Amino acid sequence: MKGNIIKYARDNIDTDVIIPGQYLKIHDYAELATHAMEGLDPDFHSKVKEGDFILSGKNFGCGSSREHAPIALSHSGVKAVLALSFARIFYRNAVDGAFLLPIEIDQDAYDGISEGDEIEIDISQNEVKNNTKHQTYKMKPFSEIIGKIIEVGGLFKYKPDSD
Amino acid sequence: MGDTLFEKVWKSHVVVEQESGPSLIYIDRHLVHEVTSPQAFDGLRMNNRKVRRPDLTIATMDHNVPTNDRSLPILDQTSSIQIQTLEKNCNDFGITLFDINSPNQGIVHVIGPQLGITLPGSTIVCGDSHTSTHGAFGALALGIGTSDVEHVLASQTMWLEKPKTFEIKVDGKIKNPHAVTAKDIVLSIIKNIGTGGGTGTVIEYRGQGISDLSMEQRMTICNMSIEAGARAGMIAPDEKTFDYLRDRKYTPKNYESLVEIWRDSLKTDNDAKFEKEFTLDINDIAPQVSWGTNPGMTCDVTESIPTPDDFSNGDDNQKKGAQKALDYMDLKSGTPVEEIKIDRVFIGSCTNARLEDLIEASKVIKGQKISSHVKAMVVPGSQMVKKQAEEMGLDKIFIESNFEWREAGCSMCLGMNPDILSPGERCASTSNRNFEGRQGTGGRTHLVSPVMAAAAAIAGHFVDVRKLDLN
Repeated sequence: MKGNIIKYARDNIDTDVIIPGQYLKIHDYAELATHAMEGLDPDFHSKVKEGDFILSGKNFGCGSSREHAPIALSHSGVKAVLALSFARIFYRNAVDGAFLLPIEIDQDAYDGISEGDEIEIDISQNEVKNNTKHQTYKMKPFSEIIGKIIEVGGLFKYKPDSD
Repeated sequence: MGDTLFEKVWKSHVVVEQESGPSLIYIDRHLVHEVTSPQAFDGLRMNNRKVRRPDLTIATMDHNVPTNDRSLPILDQTSSIQIQTLEKNCNDFGITLFDINSPNQGIVHVIGPQLGITLPGSTIVCGDSHTSTHGAFGALALGIGTSDVEHVLASQTMWLEKPKTFEIKVDGKIKNPHAVTAKDIVLSIIKNIGTGGGTGTVIEYRGQGISDLSMEQRMTICNMSIEAGARAGMIAPDEKTFDYLRDRKYTPKNYESLVEIWRDSLKTDNDAKFEKEFTLDINDIAPQVSWGTNPGMTCDVTESIPTPDDFSNGDDNQKKGAQKALDYMDLKSGTPVEEIKIDRVFIGSCTNARLEDLIEASKVIKGQKISSHVKAMVVPGSQMVKKQAEEMGLDKIFIESNFEWREAGCSMCLGMNPDILSPGERCASTSNRNFEGRQGTGGRTHLVSPVMAAAAAIAGHFVDVRKLDLN
């Protein structure tokens, strides 16, 4: 999976800036997506492209349990968020609906990857490759069940007895 | 080695345990509201599924209901649709709903305990992160997203990786409990351990400082566990817990025999070990005021706004975050907190809108008018709280001080109903999140206790409530 980076070099990006409260009444995901990241970066919607990745610091997605947060990012075209750490409800919501990949990276990757870099995520090798800078970083492996849920496309497609 | 309270509740709810990875957990109670449930019910319909246990599922509307006159129609069409959708879903699937006109309507985390739906040792979920509130009763209470809401509706279970255990010990005794409150304790904890300090854990709050608190104050503590990143917060039940839940609308018929079991079983064994520990001494803590854009950015009311360097302890992202927060909040490092002028006061939310909160706040303002440049509102956490407060005459005290006295709902905590800040407005708020735009685009939130909010309304700026005569 390949994409270009939109970097927010800060910790604690919360769900209220990912999708502000006034938009939680919107049921149409395409419309919801037009307000993604509006609380932090009003230009996000015009600059995000299909397949982009977000890179950020610690505790990404802290706050509310609104699944609208990964949905808004996903329907904006974002396929993965790379962060130093994730708030657990955001992480879970991202996986449950297979909306996007929450990739936990280390400080070297965080420091080394810049805005616009082309990144390749290789889940089978647990690697994040920076094609722009020709560097490779390790990502934290998904636990077995999370890997399977992502593979089948979400919680409701996952059958524990299937293996 | 013995078990912690959390481990006991966990073990008694495991349906399927795997050697590695998550376990399937049985859910005793599922609370539902209008914002995070519509897609979950749509999912059930699409797959031709029923709600497995409608008798264990209870719904109310709180997030986007207006808090003004309930006889008026709801002007916001999208809110109105979301509310009607919940009515239809509850009707179609046979779920009890406390609608906008019900005397039991209110913020889901206020009505759960008030109705006796929240029980010690139970598992509770709700599509809202502040579900952690119910942990004050010794329940394992988890906030979940909409996919999990659908999963629980369909199966009454959810997959959960076993969280780690975290002991937060609160030692000591507060000298003036009318001035320094549970809100100040929990903000002090988050200030110390950080907004990610509890990630992946279930916190158990213990110690003299916790057992001294009333049930309503304990709910304030557990409510904000999520602001430290924890999956849940718990407090072992005691006689205060059992007394609180006696004779509520949904209190089980065999309650006294349940209490006998809970009294012996729902506590951490003496030889149990926690995976993480933190101790807070509350003997000398001051009232807290948040100055930044997450609840960890908090200081004593007697302090001045910190510099990004002082706040960050050398962490570059923390430093950048603090500078961004100061810019957003339009604050300068070195400004004494007591000199910060406010425009709005909000006493409400699932953190601090229970009867005791309103009683304590009313003592601060009684016989005085709010500052001429301040707009202030009280939004009781539930219609039951409102009724009880009115029976005590609290509404008159607030109204005579020029506070607005509203109907129950989440109101200005989250900026998705008509109660919002205008851009640039600065608010002393008893809610739980000071994120950018949380209370309305461009709004600036300072998290405080109800007595601190009330005192700020009168003075027009923050004041140290310990200086007031509140006894």
